[in-house]
Amino acid sequence: MPCARAEQSPRMPRGAPGQRARAVLLLLGLLLLAAPPAPSWSAASRVTTEHVTARLVTERSVVAPGESVDAALVLDLRPGWHTYWRNPGDSGEPPRIDWRLPAGVEAGPIRWPLPERIPVGPLANYGYSGRAIHLVELRVADDWPVGEPIAVVAEAYWLVCEEACIPEQSRFALRLDTAARSGPADAAVADVFGAARAALPLPGSVAASFSRDGGLLRLEVPVAALRARLSLPEDFQIADVAFFSDAWGLIEHAAEQRWHARDERLVVDLVPGAAPPDVEPAGLLVIETPDGPRGVHVDAGASAGAAPALDPEAFDTASLGLPGALLLALLGGLVLNLMPCVFPVLAIKALGFARQGGAPLRERALHGIAYTAGVLTFFAVVAALLLALRGAGFAVGWGFQLQSPLFVALMAYLFLLLGLSLAGAVTIGTGLMGIGGGLETGRGHAGAFATGGLAALVAAPCTAPFMGAALGYAVTLPWLPALTIVLALGVGMALPFLLLTLVPGLAGRLPRPGPWMERLKQLLAFPMFATAAWLVWVLSVQVGSDGVAAVLAGMLLLALSLWALEQTRHASSAVRRGVGALAVLGIGTALWLGAATERQTAPRHDALAGEMPPASHTGLSGVAYSADVLSGALAAGRPVFVNMTAAWCITCLVNERVALSSARVARAFVRRDVLYLKGDWTNRDPDITRYLSGFGRNGVPIYVFYPPGRQPEVLPQLLTESLVLATLGDDT
Amino acid sequence: MLRNCPIPFPPVRSVAVAAAVFAASLFAGAGLAAPVIGEPAPDFTATDSAGKTWSLSALKGQPVILEWTNHDCPYVVKHYASGNMQALQREAVDAGYVWLSVISSAPGKQGHVDGEEAAGLTESRNAAPTAVLLDSEGAMGKAYSARTTPHMYVIDADGMLVYMGGIDDKRTTDVADIEGAQNYVRMAMADLSQGAAVGTPVTRPYGCSVKY
Repeated sequence: MPCARAEQSPRMPRGAPGQRARAVLLLLGLLLLAAPPAPSWSAASRVTTEHVTARLVTERSVVAPGESVDAALVLDLRPGWHTYWRNPGDSGEPPRIDWRLPAGVEAGPIRWPLPERIPVGPLANYGYSGRAIHLVELRVADDWPVGEPIAVVAEAYWLVCEEACIPEQSRFALRLDTAARSGPADAAVADVFGAARAALPLPGSVAASFSRDGGLLRLEVPVAALRARLSLPEDFQIADVAFFSDAWGLIEHAAEQRWHARDERLVVDLVPGAAPPDVEPAGLLVIETPDGPRGVHVDAGASAGAAPALDPEAFDTASLGLPGALLLALLGGLVLNLMPCVFPVLAIKALGFARQGGAPLRERALHGIAYTAGVLTFFAVVAALLLALRGAGFAVGWGFQLQSPLFVALMAYLFLLLGLSLAGAVTIGTGLMGIGGGLETGRGHAGAFATGGLAALVAAPCTAPFMGAALGYAVTLPWLPALTIVLALGVGMALPFLLLTLVPGLAGRLPRPGPWMERLKQLLAFPMFATAAWLVWVLSVQVGSDGVAAVLAGMLLLALSLWALEQTRHASSAVRRGVGALAVLGIGTALWLGAATERQTAPRHDALAGEMPPASHTGLSGVAYSADVLSGALAAGRPVFVNMTAAWCITCLVNERVALSSARVARAFVRRDVLYLKGDWTNRDPDITRYLSGFGRNGVPIYVFYPPGRQPEVLPQLLTESLVLATLGDDT
Repeated sequence: MLRNCPIPFPPVRSVAVAAAVFAASLFAGAGLAAPVIGEPAPDFTATDSAGKTWSLSALKGQPVILEWTNHDCPYVVKHYASGNMQALQREAVDAGYVWLSVISSAPGKQGHVDGEEAAGLTESRNAAPTAVLLDSEGAMGKAYSARTTPHMYVIDADGMLVYMGGIDDKRTTDVADIEGAQNYVRMAMADLSQGAAVGTPVTRPYGCSVKY
């Protein structure tokens, strides 16, 4: 026990202890091998004790007011000795830094790297060996005078132990210069900061459940959420797991942790510690991967003990609560009415209704209720399908039906049909249970019901703002509350028309019917054709040009058949029968062509995600999202902007056009060296579905900005250019 | 007669042994399982620095305080160099407590002492424990799941464990932190003197690890 004597003095003398010159020389020798030579120490200060070489360094030596710079307390430990994590385990004490900073400069908390479990006889500690790096963000106020240097003084205390423990302390002083622009990262300490960030837990946290089971504390985490947060491949097999509790007493630190993964849940059995039961069940879950250990914070979140909500701490959705989600769903439904795919249907419906004039209230109310029922039925069917598919283990999300090329092709046909009908080229018989029948004149309640269903059907491509958060929350719930939220969306959508039918004065305020209505109807055909054109483009992304050719041919046949039927309406029955047979053949062929798209393979997902065609996207080039690219960039400390999108998501396309395609934004991305990752959810992609679920979302769009070393920021679903620039910290 | 045939049950003792083996297997690797507040404190038999044998069962009727210690540990030094621990010992003994300092350091490890050295430490530091127990095998330490030096336990006159944990809430080696710290042992003694339940029965022990 060569160092036992040192323990008798609780304070070690500052500076190099002369009487231990030999050990110091040895250490210095080791350090010369391990650390870069003197110049890099200009912005640092260094202290060598018998067991530790400690230094305080900053990543840059020049910082701009309003920005921040990372500092690091680096402890290089003598072999066999260790320092401690924030929960040191059975004994020990974590390092502490008392900052002495001028007003206008603030230090953040220590960001602790993943600890190791250090057994000490029958006990265990959580700590570090070799090198322990403690990252701290120093923020400089906006109004710090440019050019005025900052004197950074830190008093650091740490306990270093082998079997014996020695408390040490040191005072560090260094100078940060300020300038209008932050200086470059200091190459000499790049390895320190790179290694420190690579060893940090991943940002955010994953919701887990903690339950007491017999004498054990059982931790359960959904594997999908872990994979998403740790960016692990789908076929990843967990090889080893360790849980480090945040607080003392939650678990016995030294006890064996038995774990198994079953039914997509990772279960870790822990031996409970001696703490009172109100200690917060939370900690770090570290998983052994081929790239080394990766860790993420897990906690019981908002719904302790119940089904886990996703990411309660870092993101807003789980804290939404049922009332909030219902309100958002209602709002989202209301906004849907204004979407280009729904508005024409609703407008025609409303005008047709007004034309009926003063029907008795009871009649009108039944009409409105039938319409509402149509909307709700459609939403209920979609929700039931979605929940059933999820229950069966499919990674699907809202709008999933649009991920099927067949569905998109049929929708394109439908919009063509609606457009032709509005344009007056074809009349769709009212006797047909037809969609169009209820569309305009449908007096019957069946017609109103069908119109409601149709409106909901055509609404599918239009994810309205507010919907994302509500639906994302819904899928984390048991089926009954989930269904309630989806139905609230439907109620919101049906509400304007329902009010129109129920409030007596309202219908009278609509403009008087007249010949202008015919023109408006024809005008409204064009949004329908536009939607059809857009859906064909979606198909081009999903299945490539062959699919487009097939569906365009199908649309031609469909239009021709309908036109032929229309022309021969009043012809002799023989002609009608002949044309009818041909039309059935034509429509059948069109459907077959549509169905054929399902069998065609996607060209590549890169149409949206890969390099952008320069004409449509001014300069901002993205890289296709993959979990590996994301984690690699984060590990390297590079800021990342993730955009999850789909060709069929109008909100996504509008956002990209409005907020992400200007040259200014592109320049900001380049200047900040932000990696722009774009994920394309046009086709089914379990990786992206997992990513979405990691943020408690179930649909696109989602925009997430990862500032280096900090919690990711989820942006709103409606972007503006200034919002994006402000998020990147480039709004000057 | 059938009715008189005894049903062959396994003897109670073997059931108990099986249960104990099962329980032990649950904690395999745990090394230590902490004793439980409000239950009888684990019994022990240990020899003090003068060679006298102490056991908890023989102390029924008297409240007991256990202090795990290691004179070379800087956290222990904090409380002895300042006189804090000695003052607490006198206070407790005056109030009728039996104060047992326990040294669980294994032979060859830091803090291990023989009886003579232990008595010397008590004298040189002007300490006032009722006795210093030598637990170099670590049996008593493991029975209490003692983790750190110091690690404090308070047992009431009925032999129930009423407090375990740190000596106070300032987990440092800095003598200046003693003033203003909440001394959990003193608080437990105050609660017991009122006939009340101990308000803070479990805290995090802090210090050096026990050198088993």
